[in-house]
Amino acid sequence: MTPLLALCRKEIASLFGSTAVYLTLTGVALVSALIFFDHLRLYNQMLFVYASSTMGGFETDTIPDYVNLWDSVFFPVMETLGLTLCGAVPLTTMRVFAEERSRGTDELLLTTALAPGQIVLAKFAITFAFVALMMVASFVYPAAAIERGGLGAQHLAAVFVGLLLHGVGVASIGLACSAFTSSQLTAAVSAWAVAFVLWDFAWITPFASEPVAGMLDAIALRPRYGHMAEGFVVIADVAYYFGLAIVGMAIARLSFDLRRIGT
Amino acid sequence: MAGESATTPSSSAACPAVEAVGLTRRFGARVAVDGLDLTIPRNAAFGLLGANGAGKTTFLRLVTGLLLPSRGTVRVNGRCPVREARAVQRGLGFAMETGRLYPELRVAGFLRFAGSARGLSGKALADAIERVVDAFSLGSVTQRLVGHLSKGTQQRIALAQALLHDPPLVIVDEPTGSLDPLQRREVWSALAGLVGRRTLLICTHDLEEARALCARVAVLRAGQLVAEGATDAVLGGADTLSLFRPAPGAAPEPRA
Amino acid sequence: MTGQLALAGCIALVFGLGAYRATDHFGAFSAINVWLGAGALAVALAYGAVRRIRWGSPDSRRLLLRGGGITALALTVAVGLERAADRADLRFDWTFEERFEPALATRRALAELCGPVEILLFYDPRDPRIRRTRLLVETLAGYGDVSLRELELGAAPEEVDRFGVGSSNSLVIRLRDAAGSGDRYRLAERPSEGAIYEALYGLCAARGGEILALRGEGEGDLERGDDVGYAGLAAALATEGYAVRSQVTTSLEAVPEDVDAVLVIAPRRHLHRSGLAALERFLGRGGRLIALLEPGSDSGLEAVLARWGIEGSPSLLHDPVDGAQGPERDGAAIVAYHYDRHPIAAQLDRNRMTYFSGARAFSLRKPEALDELSGVVLSSPEAWLSADPVRLGRRGGAAPNPGVRRDYFAIAVAGRYVRDGRETRIFAVGDADFASNRHLRTLYNLDLVMNGVHWALAREPEITLRPKIRDTVQFPLPVTDSLRSLYGVGLLLPELLLIAGGAVWIRRRAA
Repeated sequence: MTPLLALCRKEIASLFGSTAVYLTLTGVALVSALIFFDHLRLYNQMLFVYASSTMGGFETDTIPDYVNLWDSVFFPVMETLGLTLCGAVPLTTMRVFAEERSRGTDELLLTTALAPGQIVLAKFAITFAFVALMMVASFVYPAAAIERGGLGAQHLAAVFVGLLLHGVGVASIGLACSAFTSSQLTAAVSAWAVAFVLWDFAWITPFASEPVAGMLDAIALRPRYGHMAEGFVVIADVAYYFGLAIVGMAIARLSFDLRRIGT
Repeated sequence: MAGESATTPSSSAACPAVEAVGLTRRFGARVAVDGLDLTIPRNAAFGLLGANGAGKTTFLRLVTGLLLPSRGTVRVNGRCPVREARAVQRGLGFAMETGRLYPELRVAGFLRFAGSARGLSGKALADAIERVVDAFSLGSVTQRLVGHLSKGTQQRIALAQALLHDPPLVIVDEPTGSLDPLQRREVWSALAGLVGRRTLLICTHDLEEARALCARVAVLRAGQLVAEGATDAVLGGADTLSLFRPAPGAAPEPRA
Repeated sequence: MTGQLALAGCIALVFGLGAYRATDHFGAFSAINVWLGAGALAVALAYGAVRRIRWGSPDSRRLLLRGGGITALALTVAVGLERAADRADLRFDWTFEERFEPALATRRALAELCGPVEILLFYDPRDPRIRRTRLLVETLAGYGDVSLRELELGAAPEEVDRFGVGSSNSLVIRLRDAAGSGDRYRLAERPSEGAIYEALYGLCAARGGEILALRGEGEGDLERGDDVGYAGLAAALATEGYAVRSQVTTSLEAVPEDVDAVLVIAPRRHLHRSGLAALERFLGRGGRLIALLEPGSDSGLEAVLARWGIEGSPSLLHDPVDGAQGPERDGAAIVAYHYDRHPIAAQLDRNRMTYFSGARAFSLRKPEALDELSGVVLSSPEAWLSADPVRLGRRGGAAPNPGVRRDYFAIAVAGRYVRDGRETRIFAVGDADFASNRHLRTLYNLDLVMNGVHWALAREPEITLRPKIRDTVQFPLPVTDSLRSLYGVGLLLPELLLIAGGAVWIRRRAA
């Protein structure tokens, strides 16, 4: 087994040998299921209230256009999940590098045949796989519940791709932050800060010129995620998340050099 | 090459294991290692002594390439740990202080990972693990979690992982810190068995340990070399303790 | 100190932006936190960099340049990839609408067009709904002789006036008359597959038959357009080829020979003796009856139906399982999805529900052995009948009395009788509101009533599922299905994960 694969295997063993991982997956699956079910229940109630209301007639729809499975249930849940991931994923990534530094096991890794780039690659890969598992856990129930509602498997696939890429993007941010500290708290808080800043830049438009606002919009997470949440898989968005991952990896790798130089 | 017993092709038998020339390392305004000139011969058990904050651990990190020197040079088996980091690390094993292991892994799994990370695989890996498990009497704990074991056992595990790839240079940092007397004896016995076939660099502030294990010692104080030579000569004098008295204003070593 | 400043900066950023996200308002609290936080972070990073990074040794510089270079390269690659992808504008439309597939009924209507059809799409360029409407029409055009022409509202005032177009995203479906006598057209101001289907059907429908609707005893008004009227049903009947005329029951001595079926919608008073007798004679000579009866009524028609084996219960049906999840939650409003094997309900299933805001049940008893009687729409097996007249009045109530019978109850029934070589057909439903303007378009109510009419008039080939005016994604999911998914997947998965985590924890403690 190559050193890289050995590290991947070690990471998987460390991850799934820890009860915190199961608690995280349970929490994510449960919270998303309950949020979704609550939206679904309210949607059904709203539907029947409109169906038995006194408004409307033959030529006019009794039920407003916006009361549908997509606008009333799925999209709000996905929006909520997108922002929730910005808060939840850093809790997963905070320990990846920071715990190694605090324990001193990063020195163990660096005195093996593993290059810093390989260490970063292995940790990013396993973390991405875990984030994908988290997304599956959070998506299985909504997909099963409303696929019967005629939303379409292809549309659901687009939404899942968006959720997955968004999770991977936030994980890249979290991992890059974790690489610069030995404190998991600092890693989490800094990752939240970066993720929330990048979520959207609508707040900066009163202060920035149009070209600057446009540029900031291009690096924001929300519009990218929003496209896929609506069912459009735009290759530029996929490239954005891919770029976020490689920049995150490069920054994490830089942390090893900076440690050797200065800290 | 990974897994090879590392008599480095490019170093001759006359090349010392470690050679530092004017080695200096600063952390901000503080100088942790100050113009150190030190040569550690091959196949010797060499002790590096000094009080807390003397610069011992910083020196080890410079030797292993975990830190870059601010000035000066260091060579390990004839190679520069900055420019030839991978080659240097293939030729050395580093047993850190107790606790710098993966507590969530089982001993067997940890050794398997450590060996694989050093390029061992297949039968070579299995043989190496068997060798170190026997050498450090770890047979009864291979299926236990590392974090559940005593400090003494963990220290043996740390030594075992450093020797999986049979390196010519083994660096041990504080091998018996916070161990009880029985555990200390166990570790000394294991270390004593290494002497002769490889260079052993032991970093300690325990004089008894240095006398028990090391043929030659060097004493650091405030990052500078204050004594070096045969163990009896350096530590046999009446004012031995004065070598360890910290310099005024010395601070504890930073954790890098 | 630097670390503390950086941490404080990050916390301030989190709170500033978190407050903005929570309130959707970038106020003073958010602004102060964001700017101070960013400033603190910048100062900490700069100070830390200056203080910690030593540029002294050549090795340090080399390593820094290499690391920085790798990062810069990664950033360049990332930006370059994204810009290149953006310029290529590659996108995959996996939206529900992209996967749009016309219903069987629509495809048949398009294949059997009586002439070439031109669809005019009137639009405003800024209207986002155009994309979907264009896609819809282009898809339908692939199934028949249909062409699309787009007209911007402001650029085609004559056409707008001619067709009476009032808003953007309106369709005019125009049938070009091959005989040259003039075009016929229909206007659909809220385009959907269902609207286009009805327009095409209305333009090309063959004659279906004559229906006589009884009135005069408080029956549902086919000309009334408000939510309690039945103008929608009348329009649907006309669209699908039926000519409807009405007659007062008191003056009905005999059902005219040219009438193919009699339609009775929820009479509130007892029908006149003469009308009932005329109806009996009509049925006896092979007539067809479509009866929509409200629970609790006694119109005299119940006795007629009973003689044909269809006995209506005076009680109100409650279904706690299929009861709608509306505010009252009493089970009287039923979303039914249990259907018997019968041509009327051939294409209805548990995902194609029908809604009854209050229904009576029927029990069936064959008058003669060869008669065919079926319950077409059934309740769940947990339904029960409430005999409480107060309940009938207010449509509310508590749990049933202990020991009350729970069973499948027939809400809509169909009977076919052959007498002396003549075939009589009766389609009866224990609720009339389901076909009113308020509920006709709810779920699959329209399909149920129209398919019932088609069956009653022996026009089984016309039985179909009509495309909906609103999306299927606007339909509810059965509560039992939702709960089943929640228990089976939504809760079971976290439960299994927690058990696995507990097993790992116990193993680790023992190791």
